[in-house]
Amino acid sequence: MLSRVADSLYWMSRYIERAEHTARLIAVKLDSMVEQTSEDATASWARVVESLTGEKAALLHPDAFAITRKLAFDRDNQTSLINSLALARDNARQVREALSNEVWENLNRLYLRLTPVTMESIWIHTPARLFREVLEEMHALEGVTYSTLSHGEGWYFLELGRHIERVQQLGRLLDIHFSAAQTSENSPKYFDWLVLLKFCTAFEPYTKQYTASIRPQKIAEFLLFDSEFPHSICFSVDRMTEALARVAPGAPPARRAAVERLAGRLKAAVDFGQVDELMSGGVAAFIADITKQCEQIHKALYSSYITYGAETVL
Amino acid sequence: MQQEVFANTEDFGGPDIVAGPARVSRPGVDAPYANYELGKPYDEMFARDGKARLPYAVMDSRISTLPLEELNRRQQACEQSFLHQGITFTVYNDNKATERIIPTDLLPRIVTANEWDRIERGLTQRIHALNLFLRDIYNDGRVLKDGVVPRSMIYGSKHYRREMRGLPVPHGAYVNICGSDLIRNEAGDFVVLEDNLRVPSGVSYMLANRDVARRAFPAVFRSMGVRPIEHYPLELLATLRSLTPFHEDVSIAVLTPGVFNSAYFEHAFLARQMGVELVEGRDLLVNDNVVYTRTTSGLKRIDVIYRRIDDDFIDPLIFREDSALGVPGLFNAYRAGNVTIANALGTGVADDKAVYAYVPRLIRYYLAEEPILDNVETFLCREEKSLKHVLANLDKLVVKAVGESGGYGMLVGPHASQKERDEFGEKVRADPENYIAQPTIQLSTAPTFVGNGIEARHVDLRPFILHGVETKLVPGALTRVALKRGSLVVNSSQGGGSKDTWVLSQ
Repeated sequence: MLSRVADSLYWMSRYIERAEHTARLIAVKLDSMVEQTSEDATASWARVVESLTGEKAALLHPDAFAITRKLAFDRDNQTSLINSLALARDNARQVREALSNEVWENLNRLYLRLTPVTMESIWIHTPARLFREVLEEMHALEGVTYSTLSHGEGWYFLELGRHIERVQQLGRLLDIHFSAAQTSENSPKYFDWLVLLKFCTAFEPYTKQYTASIRPQKIAEFLLFDSEFPHSICFSVDRMTEALARVAPGAPPARRAAVERLAGRLKAAVDFGQVDELMSGGVAAFIADITKQCEQIHKALYSSYITYGAETVL
Repeated sequence: MQQEVFANTEDFGGPDIVAGPARVSRPGVDAPYANYELGKPYDEMFARDGKARLPYAVMDSRISTLPLEELNRRQQACEQSFLHQGITFTVYNDNKATERIIPTDLLPRIVTANEWDRIERGLTQRIHALNLFLRDIYNDGRVLKDGVVPRSMIYGSKHYRREMRGLPVPHGAYVNICGSDLIRNEAGDFVVLEDNLRVPSGVSYMLANRDVARRAFPAVFRSMGVRPIEHYPLELLATLRSLTPFHEDVSIAVLTPGVFNSAYFEHAFLARQMGVELVEGRDLLVNDNVVYTRTTSGLKRIDVIYRRIDDDFIDPLIFREDSALGVPGLFNAYRAGNVTIANALGTGVADDKAVYAYVPRLIRYYLAEEPILDNVETFLCREEKSLKHVLANLDKLVVKAVGESGGYGMLVGPHASQKERDEFGEKVRADPENYIAQPTIQLSTAPTFVGNGIEARHVDLRPFILHGVETKLVPGALTRVALKRGSLVVNSSQGGGSKDTWVLSQ
C-alpha cells in the first residue's frame, strides 16, 4: 500500500472517530441537561467542552445553544463536528480509489447533509435529534466500511486510526471526570457518572456487568480494563496491537520491531493494570501514561512505514 | 413493450413503460417542445420538416407522455447522484469554496450504427496517421524532407520536444489515449474539429452519464439496443499493458496532479476501475533510472505510468523546474527504457491548429488512403491560393493565429467592423504563415431538458480512442452540450454540460 494512502486512511478514520465522539457527547448532553440543576448542568457542560476542545471554560451558565454551535458547527473550532467531517472527507477524497463507493458516498452524503444545517433550524425542534441522526448515519458508515472493504492492510490502517483516536478521547473524558472527583466543588454526582457511561455508550453494558449500582471505581474498571466492550481502553489497545501485526507485511524486521515493541509494552500496561492500585488519584497518571504511549506508537508508525527516508531502503 | 422488472428504479421513478396513445408533438408548437427552435444547424432529433428522426422515435414517445414534473424529478435524481458520487468541481467565491456538479442532461444523444461505423473507421485511420507522423518527426523527418509539412512549423512549435528525438517508443505508439472532438455540420456529416493528443479527459463522465441515463429511462434504453461501454477501463488497462515488454506482474499507476485538479475524480475513477495505483508525483522516486513508489512495506517498482500531467510538469530536471507535481529523474528513467509513459511526451506538437489543417494530407501521405472523416474546412494562409481566398472573404471567416489560444489573435469576420477586418487583413498579409481561417462553425443541436420543457442546444461529440498494439474505440462518447440557449461553447468551465451518448447496435 502506498504510504500516502496509508496516511490518509489513518487520518480519515481518526477524524470519523472524533466526529462520532463529538456527536455522541452533544446528543447525550442535550438530552440529559434537562434533568439537572443549572449549576450541575454548567459543570457538566464545562467538562464536555474541555474534553472536546482542551479549553478549560469558566462557564457562568449553561448556554447550550452557544456551546452546541461551537462544538458542532463552528468552522473556527478545529475540533468541531463539521470540521472533523470535512477533514475526514478531504482525506477520503484523496484515497477515493482505496475506498468502496459505499464508504465514500455514505461519508459524502453525511457531510453534504450537515453543511446547510443552522443552529436556528435545529433549535426549534428537539435539538438532540439531529445529533442522534448523525450517529445513526455514522454507524451505517461504520457498517459499510466493515462489510464492503477488504479487511486487508488499508482496513487495518483504518482500525489503527479509529482506536488510537478512541483511546485519546476516552482517556481525556475519564481524566477530566476522575480529576474532578478529587476536588470538593463541582465533584461529579451520581447523575454525572451515569452520563459519563452514556458518553461512552456504556450504560447498559455496564449494568449487565455490575448491575445498576453505579460506582466510580467500577466505572473506571469497566472503561479501562473490560476486554469485550468496544469503548474501553483495553479493547482499543487489543485492536491496535492486532492491527499493527497486519500492516506493512513486507517491511524489514528492524522497522517492524520498532513499532511492535511499543505496542507490546502498551498492551502489557493495560493487561496487568489493577483498578485498586489506581483509585487514590492514580487514574489520571495511568491515563497520562497510556496516552503518551499511544503518541509514541503513532510516531513509530509514521517513521517506520510512512515518512521513512527512501535512502534507508535502497 | 415489456415491463422493465429488473431495472434499478429506486431513485429514478417507476418502471419506465411507454403508455398512453401515440401522439405527435411538434417542435416549436406542442409541449414539451413548445420552445424548440429548428434553425440552420442540423438537429439530432428533428428533421427539417419537424418530424422526429427514426432513432429518436421511442425516446420521443416516452418523453412527450411524461409529465414535466416527472422529468424534473428524474433530472434532479441524476444531479443528486453526481453530487453524492463527488463528480464535482470547486468554485471559489468570496473566499468560500462551493462545490458544483458538472451539469448532466437527462436526455441521451443517439448515434446510429452506420454513423458510428464511419466515426470508428475514420478515427482509427486518423490516429494511425498521427502516430506515424509523430514517429517520423521525432526520427527521420521524412515528411519534412518531402516538403509535405513545413519544417519551421514543427521545429518552431512550443510543443515539439527535442528530448524525444530518436527515442524508441513501444510499437511506435506515441498517442495511446486520444479524445477527438467531432461536430456535425449542416449537411449532417460528422467532421473533426480538434484532436486531443496530450491528456484528454472526460471519459469518466461518459461512463457516469451512462449510469444515470440508463436508470432514468430503463425500458427505452433496453428496447433500443444501446451498445455497452462499461468495458472501457478494461480496454484501457489492456492498452497500457501492451506498452511494456515486461509481461509478468506488470505494475501500472495513474499519475495525477492531485486532489485539487479539476479532473481528479476521473483519475481516481480510472485507477479504481482498472485496479491500479493512483499516485501523485510525491509518491514516486527515481533511483538508478528505475521508478519506484513509496509503500508501507518499502519501495515498489513501477513499469507503466498513465500520466494525467502535462509534459511541462512531468520532470523538473528536464522541463519546468518549478514543477512540484512531477518526479525528478522520470525522464531519464523513460529514456533508459525502464518505464513507459502514456501518452508519450511531445505528442502536443501534432494537435495544434496548424498541424490540424495538414491531417488530411498526412493521411494520404502515410496511408495512401482518402480521409474517412473530413476536417472542418481550413485555409492555410501560408498557401498563396488560400491567402487570396481568405483576404477576399474576411467577412465570412474566422481567422486565427496558430500560436495563440483562448480567443486571442482572432478575428470573427461576420461580427467584426469593416475597419477591424481591414486592420486584421494587413496583419495576415504581413505574416501569412501565422494564420489559418475557417468558416464560422455551426454545431448541431440536440434535445435538452431545461426545466420547463425541452429545447434545442448545441452539442459536440468526443469519442475516446485507445491505441497500443491494436486500436480500439468503445462504442460511446462524451456528448458535451452548451446549456445556454444559442451558445456554441460546450466547455464545462463556461456553462457547458454533458449527456449520455447511445450508440445503437443496428
